[in-house]
Amino acid sequence: MESTLQQRIELLGEAINKWLAPDNYVLKEAIDRTVRDGFFSFEDIRYQLLALKKSLTAGEFRRWITRAGLKQHKPSNETVLCLHAGNIPLVGIQDILAVALSGKRYLGKLSRKDPWLPATLLQVLQNHELIHGKWTTHIDELAGEQAYAVLFSGSTDTAAPVLDLLEKKNIISANTPRLVRTAHFSMAFIEDEKPENLRQLTNAVFRYGGSGCRSVAMVVAPFSFNHIKCHLTDYIEEFWLRNPQHKKPPPSLFYRFAYNRAVGIEQSWLDHFLVEETSHKPDEPFVLHWVDGDRQDFIDLAWKYREGLQSVYSMDPGFDLPEELPKTEVLSEAQQPPIWWKPDGIDPLRWLEHCV
Amino acid sequence: MTDEFKHLTSRLFKSNSSKTGILWEIFELQRTRNPIYKSFSNSFIDRHKRPESIDEIPLLPIRAFKESHLIVDQLEPELQFRSSGTGQGTRSRHLVASTDLYKKTIHKGFERYFDPDQFAILCYAPGYSDNPESSLLWMMNELIQSDPTGLSRFLPLGNPLTKSDFEPALEKGKNILLFGAAFGLLDLIDLKSAKLPDEANIIETGGMKTYRQSVTKEELRKRISDGFEVPGENIHSEYGMCELMSQMYAVGSEWFEPQPWVHLSVRDPSDPFRHCKPGEEGKIGVIDLANLFSCPFLLTEDRGVMNEDGHLAVLGRWHGAELRGCNFLLEQD
Repeated sequence: MESTLQQRIELLGEAINKWLAPDNYVLKEAIDRTVRDGFFSFEDIRYQLLALKKSLTAGEFRRWITRAGLKQHKPSNETVLCLHAGNIPLVGIQDILAVALSGKRYLGKLSRKDPWLPATLLQVLQNHELIHGKWTTHIDELAGEQAYAVLFSGSTDTAAPVLDLLEKKNIISANTPRLVRTAHFSMAFIEDEKPENLRQLTNAVFRYGGSGCRSVAMVVAPFSFNHIKCHLTDYIEEFWLRNPQHKKPPPSLFYRFAYNRAVGIEQSWLDHFLVEETSHKPDEPFVLHWVDGDRQDFIDLAWKYREGLQSVYSMDPGFDLPEELPKTEVLSEAQQPPIWWKPDGIDPLRWLEHCV
Repeated sequence: MTDEFKHLTSRLFKSNSSKTGILWEIFELQRTRNPIYKSFSNSFIDRHKRPESIDEIPLLPIRAFKESHLIVDQLEPELQFRSSGTGQGTRSRHLVASTDLYKKTIHKGFERYFDPDQFAILCYAPGYSDNPESSLLWMMNELIQSDPTGLSRFLPLGNPLTKSDFEPALEKGKNILLFGAAFGLLDLIDLKSAKLPDEANIIETGGMKTYRQSVTKEELRKRISDGFEVPGENIHSEYGMCELMSQMYAVGSEWFEPQPWVHLSVRDPSDPFRHCKPGEEGKIGVIDLANLFSCPFLLTEDRGVMNEDGHLAVLGRWHGAELRGCNFLLEQD
């Protein structure tokens, strides 16, 4: 690895430490404001920041760079437009850091549902000359900019209108390379009822109110939900005591409950969540689909829903899925992935380095 | 059919049959004698009370046609329709208790806009041939069979439309009504079909899933108009599905008007009791009283929008995925 790049990684590690330091009152104020504005709960923000503290280290950045095939620091004025989502705190941090490491110019459209937290990181990175560019929560304020590449996370339905709008504003052209990530749910296979596994499962399902593409929306297990309900409910209650669910389900969830009852679908109404024993494609928030099945059923469902599927988790690291499906990850990493994880199977740093 | 049911169906299409009158009789029928709807509506409304307005009637998610047996009094169905297999998973199954009622619904709906004596109906429905239980095919066949001149017919699949397909009808003083699945009509254009006379009419039935590219409704109408050289005001749309007895028509535009026995609404997907304002997109809610023996109170999975006149534009399928994951990006700027 070239020495400038090495120095940059060290500097990034320092910047992150500074950003996450307990005496960073700017971050503290951003957390307070985010909670005050009702965007996220304090518990969810704290969880995310602790997870980032573990994963954003110089060692992990080195590993990322090696995996991405980045050999040297290449400062450039090529602008990368990042369109950040706001469904979980700091969800776009990987894209920000990928642009920082790529040496390209950053142009950010921050979500109005998470405006304060990423801005504190961007400011620290800018102060350390690790990022150059600008960010805003309003697309209009990007007028006059021209992006050389776009990183986008969203649904296939929202991607087209957003990209059309950017084209109309001449921020991108029809030929601008774009990395569009559209996966929106994950699946887990569990085989036993060990307390540690059930705790991990609870966190993987209920953290952030189930939002986020890495959250588990479908579980396959060789037993029914009814079988494990009493046992698992203890862990869920314990989780909710420590992490009160910030976002509450909309009235449509009760509608779904009434429908399930009418057609005879097995289900359990938890305080803020519905667990139903169906293998329907996860398409509604606050719903966990529970499937009584074996490994083959899990593979079949992962295959059936591969479009939209982000990650698959298992307790058994040796449980391999067919090549076309995501690689199995351990359940404990569902809500705290390494910084080099690949949303929709693509490393954004590698994409910026090799595909643009 | 019992006298009670005969009495109900005989009043469905009467011009003076107020929807609010027969509506409540059908609501009572459903919530007492359709076990699925009974259970569903009891979750929202006290079984001894009547909703205060049509807006308080719970609309059953349309997937109930996939997951249950929807029929009142366990009537023996005379017909059964199944949805096409283009969607994921199980197909819908609509048990139709009365063939006569279905026929009447088709004709009443169609004849509100088109005089069958004036038209020879040419139907083109590729992609449905592998679904003999298609309600669209059945409806087209019914319209064809009702033409006493024998000039109406199905067009052969895979061939371009030629003058010889419609000239005999023109010679007999009939106007042409080309009725086809949207992608089928585009296929006919691609096959270099003959241009139609200016006064010809075309009805597209939606259904673009199997077409090789996605096309907006506006673009579709323009391509059909240009392709057959028929003025835009003669291009119409039909909105129907296997789960509905009734069909809606958008005449010369993309705005559908409900039939007198149908109530259309657009509902907030996160709160299906809330009506979306004109211009606000949501899931299409349909109350089709002709569905009285299966279930008339339905929340579809289609995306739609109402205008100020109470007319509906169908925008495609509602995709729930954006409600869940990293999909909160499209904020109003």
